[in-house]
Amino acid sequence: MELLFLLPIFIPLLTALFLFLSKNLFNETVTNFFTLNSALLSFSVSSFVFVMLTLDKFKPVNYSFFQWTTTPDIKISFVLDGLSGIMLLLVTGLSFIIQLFSTSYMEKDEKYINYFIYFNFFVFSMLLLVMSSNFLVMFFGWELVGLSSYLLISFWSTKSAAAKAGNKAFIINRVGDFGFLIGLMIILNTFNTFDFFVVLKDAAQVSENTITLISLFLLLGAFGKSAQFPLFSWLPDAMEGPTPASALIHAATMVTAGVFMLVRISPLLQYSKIVGIVIISFGLITALLAAFSAINQYDIKKVLAYSTISQLGFMFIAIGAGAYVAAIFHLVTHAFFKALLFLGAGAVIHSMHHEQDMRKMGGLKKQMPITASMMGIGTLAISGIPPLAGFWSKDEILASVFANEGIYYIFWVFGLGAAFLTAFYMGRHWILIFGKDNGFDHSHVHEAPKNMTRPLIILGIFSIFIGFVNTPFFHGIEKVLHYSLEGVEVTHLPKGITLVILAILSIGAGFTGLSLAYLIFSFEILKRVKLKKINLDFPINLIKDLSYNILYLNKFGNFVFVSGLKNFSRKVAVIIDGLVIDGSVNFVSTTFGKTSKVASATQTGLVRSYVVYFGLFLLLLIVLFIFTPLVYQ
Amino acid sequence: MLEVTTDWYLTLSAILFSIGFFGMMIRRNALIMFMCIELMLNAVNLTFISASRHFGQIDGQVAVFFVLVVAAAEVVVGLAIIVSIFRKQSSASVDVLNLSRG
Repeated sequence: MELLFLLPIFIPLLTALFLFLSKNLFNETVTNFFTLNSALLSFSVSSFVFVMLTLDKFKPVNYSFFQWTTTPDIKISFVLDGLSGIMLLLVTGLSFIIQLFSTSYMEKDEKYINYFIYFNFFVFSMLLLVMSSNFLVMFFGWELVGLSSYLLISFWSTKSAAAKAGNKAFIINRVGDFGFLIGLMIILNTFNTFDFFVVLKDAAQVSENTITLISLFLLLGAFGKSAQFPLFSWLPDAMEGPTPASALIHAATMVTAGVFMLVRISPLLQYSKIVGIVIISFGLITALLAAFSAINQYDIKKVLAYSTISQLGFMFIAIGAGAYVAAIFHLVTHAFFKALLFLGAGAVIHSMHHEQDMRKMGGLKKQMPITASMMGIGTLAISGIPPLAGFWSKDEILASVFANEGIYYIFWVFGLGAAFLTAFYMGRHWILIFGKDNGFDHSHVHEAPKNMTRPLIILGIFSIFIGFVNTPFFHGIEKVLHYSLEGVEVTHLPKGITLVILAILSIGAGFTGLSLAYLIFSFEILKRVKLKKINLDFPINLIKDLSYNILYLNKFGNFVFVSGLKNFSRKVAVIIDGLVIDGSVNFVSTTFGKTSKVASATQTGLVRSYVVYFGLFLLLLIVLFIFTPLVYQ
Repeated sequence: MLEVTTDWYLTLSAILFSIGFFGMMIRRNALIMFMCIELMLNAVNLTFISASRHFGQIDGQVAVFFVLVVAAAEVVVGLAIIVSIFRKQSSASVDVLNLSRG
């Protein structure tokens, strides 16, 4: 069992290595054979392991690989418990489905094998991250997923936008990783070990300030990786990568690493009063901001990117409200419906010959019925329409926020607003692509090939039914996470009629959002109904402008951090570097040069002059010898 | 009757040393300079021997043997160098050899 659960981690690594070594030998068919079979094998082993774990009532299984040092206690170790089991299943399963899709999407690409090498390497890194039982191995995985994400974002590296987006993602993540690293150092200093379970057990004896400090630094890491405000702007740009890679990395798995990590350290978080409030506030800001920004985007993938940021915000809200089960539950459901939406978008892009502007689509449901219906399921799921997956998880989050009472009532209202916006922009997304006919000639567009539609259908089925694993009537995920969240105070859902009212309200928000999207974008109510006295053009254009430019946050960030820093460093370069550092170095070197020129005049190269010096010094010695009184000791 | 004391020997060796030293300073021919060095070495030898005799100790004479051996070796190497220089520039003047000028 111990070795068996390590198998899914290393199969992708071996596949990546194997493909890397035999890169020039294989054509696409052989590559597909290896990569798909290894992904399937990895998934089968994971499923088997998960079943074994279920039979064992989700008792954690530890496996220590290698003891690095004993004091402080650092080892390479892994753990299989409910939390990592869920992630294991999710990552390997989605990896298989998305690779199946990729074989069709990446067809005839010049760097076909490279794509699968990076992809498998990502899966390995992600599994390393989730299976680790200490902070250090998690950090290795954390950095490696960053690397593979960078490689896949700038996959078409000849395109300057892709290369820049890769850099941006890497650099912004560096800010977060810096926080993570400092957090790790404080942990090592405080607990003398990196092991999760020791740290989480000992946390009770440590002062609250230290815990708060550690949590805040780790939180910075989570903000970077999970694209939370203010470190979110890399994710929309990351859409330059291949769409299936975006589906796995920038929607379903890697970006949820922050959420995963916070749930992992949840016993730590509960000892600090401030951290919860910080998490929920930033989560809310992110959820609202990203949802608002998604309203007026025209790139088919950018809408989904903002939607991902917004949904990650929801997961942070759940963590901030102490509803860790809900956070993981939403992570799981979101992984399915967002992967579905991304792959659907990929199918559309593929059929439209790499056209991503939604204004040039419209009415595609006739040409692409399967994709349209599956995307429709995804849209309903994310909007929170029962009984689809998104409803159960989002409703659980909102209800948990409500259950905290006090100031959380206000948070709940904002959360409901974000849910409403989600339904609105997703409705708009579907209508612009598939719904309203814009009069473009789409006769050349065909339904995507079978290797693309099959994954969509699988994900569609999951998006409908996965929500039933954790309902108010059956607490599946809660049971799985029982050991992982041992000793953690989890917020409980409100009982009875309150829960029903909350559910109705959140369904209402979803329906309102979708209907408003239908009225505005399909029925075009704004053009049909002219109000006589009130002119709505100005506020609508203002909203459109602000949404399109993300409240000008990117420009502000550019101004402060990019141009500001550039100007500042240019000045530093001129003053500090040019005058102070170069000046002092040059002064030293010129002084040495001048003195040595003077001194070198004595080196005439004539033997006779040296003899003279020699004689003079000899004379000097003799004089000294004569005039120095002898001292006996 | 004049008695030849140790002072005489020391004076002689000082004179010999000075001749050698001045020779080094004013002559350009490498061979002559070499001879001057030999002169200085032997002046020192003379000092050693006189001192050794004056104090009745053998140490000075031992030192002289060392000096003689070293001088012999030095002559071998030095002459070889001078010959090879002479072959290269057909002059034994040391003023031409100012390659190490700063």
